[in-house]
Amino acid sequence: MGEAGKKKVIIDTDPGIDDAMAIFVALNSPEIEVIGLTTIFGNVYTTLATRNALHLLEVAGRCDVPVAEGSHVTLMKTTKLRIASFVHGADGLGNQNFSPPNGQPIGQSAASFLVEQANLYPGEVTVVALGPLTNLALAIEEDPDFPKKVGQIVILGGAFWVNGNVNPATEANIFGDPEAADVVFTSGADILAIGINITHQVILTDADLEKIEKSNSKFAQYLCKILGLYFSYHREAYHINGVYLHDPTTVIAAINPSLLTYTEGVVRVQTSGITRGLTLFDNTKKRYAEMTPWTDKPKIKVAVTVDAPTVVQMMMDRLMNN
Amino acid sequence: MENGGIYKASSKREKLIIDTDPGIDDSMTILMAFQASEIEVVGLTTIFGNVSTKGATRNALLLCELAGHPEIPVAEGNPEPLKGGEPRVADFVHGSDGLGNISMPPPNNKKIDKSACEFMVDKVSEFPNEVSILALGPLTNLALAIKRDSSFAKKVKRVVILGGAFFCPGNVNPAAEANIYGDPEAADIVFTSGAEIVVVGINITTQVTFTDSDLSQISKSKGKYAQFICNMCNFYQNWHIKSDGFHGIFLHDPVSFAALLRPDLFTYKTGVVRVETQGICAGHTLMDQGLKLWNTTNPWSNYKPISVAWTVDVPGVLALVKELLVKP
Repeated sequence: MGEAGKKKVIIDTDPGIDDAMAIFVALNSPEIEVIGLTTIFGNVYTTLATRNALHLLEVAGRCDVPVAEGSHVTLMKTTKLRIASFVHGADGLGNQNFSPPNGQPIGQSAASFLVEQANLYPGEVTVVALGPLTNLALAIEEDPDFPKKVGQIVILGGAFWVNGNVNPATEANIFGDPEAADVVFTSGADILAIGINITHQVILTDADLEKIEKSNSKFAQYLCKILGLYFSYHREAYHINGVYLHDPTTVIAAINPSLLTYTEGVVRVQTSGITRGLTLFDNTKKRYAEMTPWTDKPKIKVAVTVDAPTVVQMMMDRLMNN
Repeated sequence: MENGGIYKASSKREKLIIDTDPGIDDSMTILMAFQASEIEVVGLTTIFGNVSTKGATRNALLLCELAGHPEIPVAEGNPEPLKGGEPRVADFVHGSDGLGNISMPPPNNKKIDKSACEFMVDKVSEFPNEVSILALGPLTNLALAIKRDSSFAKKVKRVVILGGAFFCPGNVNPAAEANIYGDPEAADIVFTSGAEIVVVGINITTQVTFTDSDLSQISKSKGKYAQFICNMCNFYQNWHIKSDGFHGIFLHDPVSFAALLRPDLFTYKTGVVRVETQGICAGHTLMDQGLKLWNTTNPWSNYKPISVAWTVDVPGVLALVKELLVKP
C-alpha cells in the first residue's frame, strides 16, 4: 500500500449492478488507490454484498484488496426491510449465477477497518459511500475523532429538492438507514453528498451500451452480461432507454471533483413520519427568527451541477481500456 | 330590464370566502378583493397565524369597516391547531396588532355567531359549486369544515391556498412554510380531501416583491386604501431587511389572490401533496411529481392530485396587484 501521489480510497458498497461498474472504474483509475472495500446491506443483504465484493475483485484480478464485512442491521438494530432485488436481481448482479468467490473477508468489521485506516493515514483516506451509511455511523460511534481523521467522505445519497426513488420523499440509500445518515451528515466530517438530483442527469444510453458491447475489455464484457436487468428496470420504472449512473458518478466525483459544482449548507435527515428518509438541505441565506434543528450544525457540500457528458465518457473509457 | 342587466352582471361575480389571519399582506389582499369587480366577498373567516384568532377577527372586522362593507359577515375560526396547544403567532413579522402596530381603534361591528367552519359549510351548501375559498393562513378551519360535512370537498367550487414550500426551503425553518407549519395535520387533511385545490407556495410568492420604490409609488397614488396599506407596510419592510436582507416586501397573500383572479398568470403541475406531521420536518409539503412508477404503494398513493403553482408571470402579477392597489 501507499503508492505515491495517489488518493487512498475505501469504497463502502452494496453491490449492486452500478456498484460493480463503480468498483471497476475505481480499480482502473490511476489517480486513486483502492485500499479496501467495506460492505453493507442495500441493493442486497450484507452477506451477499460481501460475496459480491469478493467476486468483483476476483473478476478484476485484484484479490490483494481487502474486504471488510459491514453491519447486517441498521444503527437502530433493525434488519432492512427493503432489498432492491427488482432493480439488481436476486443475486445483486443481474441474476447471472456466478460461482462463489474463493476469497474471504478480513476478520475486522467494516467500521473497525474504516477507523483503523483513518488513524493510519490521518487526513488521507477518502471514503466513497455507495450504500446506506450504517458503517460510517458505527465508525463515528467507535471513534469520535473519525470525522476529523478521515480525509473526505463522498456519499451517494439523498434527493435534494427533488422527489426520491423509494417514494416521493426519500432516496434508497438514505431510506436504508435514516438515523445513520443523520449522524454522518451532522458529524463535522468533510462531506460531499451526491443526490439523485445529480445522478439522474448522468445516463448511460442504449447507444453507449452498444459501444461497451463492442469492447474486448474484461470489465466491458462482464458488465454487458449484468446490465440487461438494470436497463429493463429503468424502462419500466422511468420510461427511459438508459440507466442512471448513480455509483459510477460518485466514484468519478472522488477522482475528479471538478466535474461537479456544489453549495454548502446543513443537511438533516427526517427519521419519522411519512417522509422518513427525507434529506433536507438548508441552502437558504435566510435568517430564521427561531432556532431550528439545522441551527449550528456543521455544513456539508451538496452537489448541485454535474458535467454529465464528461462523466459518462470518463466512465466508458475506464471500463473499455483494460 | 336595467335591473335585470345589473342582476346579470352581479351574478357573474365569483362568490368568495377569505379565510385569513390579518396580517399585513392579508389586509392588502382583502382590500384588493373588495376592489376586484369579478369577486363578491361573501364572508371572512378568521384563523391564528400572523396574529391570534381573536386578533384576526378584530382585524377582519376593521378591514370590512374601512372598506365600507360592514354588512359582510366575519366568522371566527378555531383558536388553536387541530392537535391543540398554543398556536405559533408571527408577531415579529406583522407587529403585535397584526397590522404593523398602527394603533387602530376597536371595530364597531361584531363577529357572527357561527364558527368559521359552520359558516363555510353553510355557504357552500347554500350555493353548491359556486363558492370559492381563498385560504391565507393555517388550514384548521377548512379541515374542520371537511370533517363536519363529508360532502364539503365536492360542494366547494375551488380552494386557492397560500401555503407550502415546494422543493425549496421554508420560511419558519428549512423544512416548513409558516401557514402549513401552523397546523400540519389540518393541511394534510385539506390536501388529501379530494377538493379542487390550487396551492401557491413560497417557491412562487418569494419571486414577486415590491421594492421600496414600488411602495412609495403606491403611497403617492390616489388608491382608495393606499395610505393605510403603506403605513402598515413600514413594520413589514423592516422585518424583511432583518430576515431576508432586502429592501422591499414579499407579496405572499396578494400573489395567491392573483392565482384566484387570473389563473392564466401561472403554470401548474399536478400531483398528490402530503404534509409531514412528525419530527424535525413537521410542516414539510411533499408533492409526488409522478416521475416514476413506484414499486409499492406509499403514503402518496391513491389520493386525488392537486394543482401546485409552478411558474409565475412576475410582471403580470405585479401589474395586477398595483392596478388594484392604486384604484381610487
